[in-house]
Amino acid sequence: MANGPLNGIRILDLTHVWAGPLATRILADLGADVVKVEAPTSRGPRSYGRVTPIGGWVGGDPGDEPYNVNAVFVKLQRNKKSLAVNLKTPSGRATFLELVKKADIVIENFSARAMPALGLDYSSLSAANPKIIYVSMPGYGMNGPYRNRVAFGPSVEPLSGLTNVMGYGPNEPRNTAMALPDPIAALNATSAVVTALRKRQQTGRGTLVEMSLHEGAAAFCGPWLIETQLGESVQCIGNRHPNMAPYGIYRCTGSDDWVAIACRDNSDWQALCATIPGSLDVAAGLSERVQSHRRIDQIIETWTLQYSKTDAAEILQDASIPAGPVNSTPDMTSDPQTIARNFFVPIERGPTAIPGNPIKMNGLSTSDWSPCPPLGADNHEVLSEWLDYSEEEIDALECSGVIVNRPPA
Amino acid sequence: MDRILEIGGFAAGYCGRLFAQSGYDVVRIESQSLNPGWVSQAASDYYLHAGKRRIDTTDPMLIANLASEADIVVAEAATADSLMKLGFNNWPTPVKVSITPFGATGPKRNWQATPGVILAMGGYTNLMGDPDRAPLTLPGHYPEFQSGAFAYTAANACRIANQENTIDIGMLEVVMALSQFTTVMWHCANTIRSRHGNDFWTVVPTNLFRCRDGWVYLNIVPTFWDAFAIFLNRPELLVDKRFKSNDLRSKNRDALHNIIAERIGGMNRSEIEQQATESRVPVGVVQTLSEVLDDPHLKQREFWQSISNGHLTIQSPRPAWKIHGDSTTELRLTEAETKRG
Repeated sequence: MANGPLNGIRILDLTHVWAGPLATRILADLGADVVKVEAPTSRGPRSYGRVTPIGGWVGGDPGDEPYNVNAVFVKLQRNKKSLAVNLKTPSGRATFLELVKKADIVIENFSARAMPALGLDYSSLSAANPKIIYVSMPGYGMNGPYRNRVAFGPSVEPLSGLTNVMGYGPNEPRNTAMALPDPIAALNATSAVVTALRKRQQTGRGTLVEMSLHEGAAAFCGPWLIETQLGESVQCIGNRHPNMAPYGIYRCTGSDDWVAIACRDNSDWQALCATIPGSLDVAAGLSERVQSHRRIDQIIETWTLQYSKTDAAEILQDASIPAGPVNSTPDMTSDPQTIARNFFVPIERGPTAIPGNPIKMNGLSTSDWSPCPPLGADNHEVLSEWLDYSEEEIDALECSGVIVNRPPA
Repeated sequence: MDRILEIGGFAAGYCGRLFAQSGYDVVRIESQSLNPGWVSQAASDYYLHAGKRRIDTTDPMLIANLASEADIVVAEAATADSLMKLGFNNWPTPVKVSITPFGATGPKRNWQATPGVILAMGGYTNLMGDPDRAPLTLPGHYPEFQSGAFAYTAANACRIANQENTIDIGMLEVVMALSQFTTVMWHCANTIRSRHGNDFWTVVPTNLFRCRDGWVYLNIVPTFWDAFAIFLNRPELLVDKRFKSNDLRSKNRDALHNIIAERIGGMNRSEIEQQATESRVPVGVVQTLSEVLDDPHLKQREFWQSISNGHLTIQSPRPAWKIHGDSTTELRLTEAETKRG
């Protein structure tokens, strides 16, 4: 367990896929005692491994336990413990409710009907522990007309309004390609957890906290939704910006190398005019620059095409103009800034550099971080430390298949 | 309740918004505006600054005094050096959070940035857009809002532990920390993730399709393939050898897309939504901003919070989480008080 301000906060983590595990990774990085409560088949069957997963295998090969080295999964599980328990069995459910009595938080991102179907809805959990904070994050929330819709980040995104402004133009909408509602929901979940914990410090009572991928994405679009109410037109304008010009992505010397450049104000514009030779009008104000953006963009790109993306960015930064290369992963991991701040953390097999914690503060250090636990690796520790179960009791749960440390055959 | 002092642009403003919506006493210093926003000043103010006391000042003594009275200060600056010029290091506030584009240390700590620059350097831009065209940036304030949420989480964590601390948040690292699988794909599969327009590429079909009255996004991960064939009213696809597995669907992507486009193109959004719900397949229609404002689901879930400036009341998203038992109250957007040193 990592050291941090959330030391002593016990979290039962039933989340899966991206939004939920990312949230609990952030909380674990802050020191929370996060127990990942996993179904025996949650990481796939024992025979898993015939098909290489989208992110490959941590360490480069599936090894003897492929279900434990799926890189996309592993990346989200550091600093957590794994308890693999079958909640569909009476003993598994009873064990879980015993754990709830000792926990501060239960968090899940199943569909709205999954936890009630297990007999583990908020009323059941709060009956076991009135101080429990239960965080539920289904795709569309626990009620409302869409509650039974199937949701993944990419399919929720268009309902939020974002697709109206994202793309090459009004007739060429694009999605974000990265399931944006998920990371938004993750930060909403961490924010909700600390809010509920502080509220409990005042009231002494637990609570039900609910959120959805859908509402998080719609809240992100709040400024445009308010602009619409104020009667303003909101347009998709590609890589341009309504209140900064120039603002764009410009081609550089490489085959697919690009640099992002922006002028926030007249001062940036004047610096750009001094840096880029050509017929840029140093006296042009924002509205003139917006009007003549095509010509300005052409002049800028004629200049950027002479440089690598890194060189172009550095020349412009030397003139205090916001600019940065469009980075791929190898660019990111070799960036002197990320290296200087030890951002990527090689704690997993390989070693595989995993993005670190963007919260830097005294008392947080990656030196005490632990890698993703194998399935069920902490069954004994959690059940003995949290519940004082004897070895015989734990063995009995293992023998009956209620807890496992590898998927069923 | 804690007293929060907020200084800066959209990241600090978003962090302060979360505090204000949670009932905390938030004072915002108005004069430290940074990058221009994506919407009008009025829309930004309604979204970010309702429920706060706003003070327009550049007086360092006044700011220092306010910091000394606060339990938490959240200060956003254009660079690490400009943060120090605010006097950040000297304030005695128990919990201090700095938000800068690149963090308080490192060789690029004084680089200049906009959201577009951070998204480019943080690996997002490289993934968005079409393969044979310029990559696309993400409009809006994603790096700032997510940084503000990290700041909110970290500051509250320190208060829960009754811990004094100084927190350093760099937007570049925020964006990198929120990468989907790009980094492990490179390290573990030796593959640089690239952009494929609206196609998720490795899972087929996942794409945006035109329908009769707009667009719809289909996100058919393999476990939903059978249900999707029924949704399309094309059960014969289930025994079509071209589409038996995700790999085969990838190889026959164009043929499958043509079949889908033909079927979806003849349907309107409401039909698609209804059939997708019945068939339990993950589908989402593109809604206009006006449609989002009228969305019956959001209305029934009391998603909107009234914000009034005394003359006009608008609807803004409430906090994206709902603590049961708490009610969402109207917030007031006040004018900034001008104070000069």
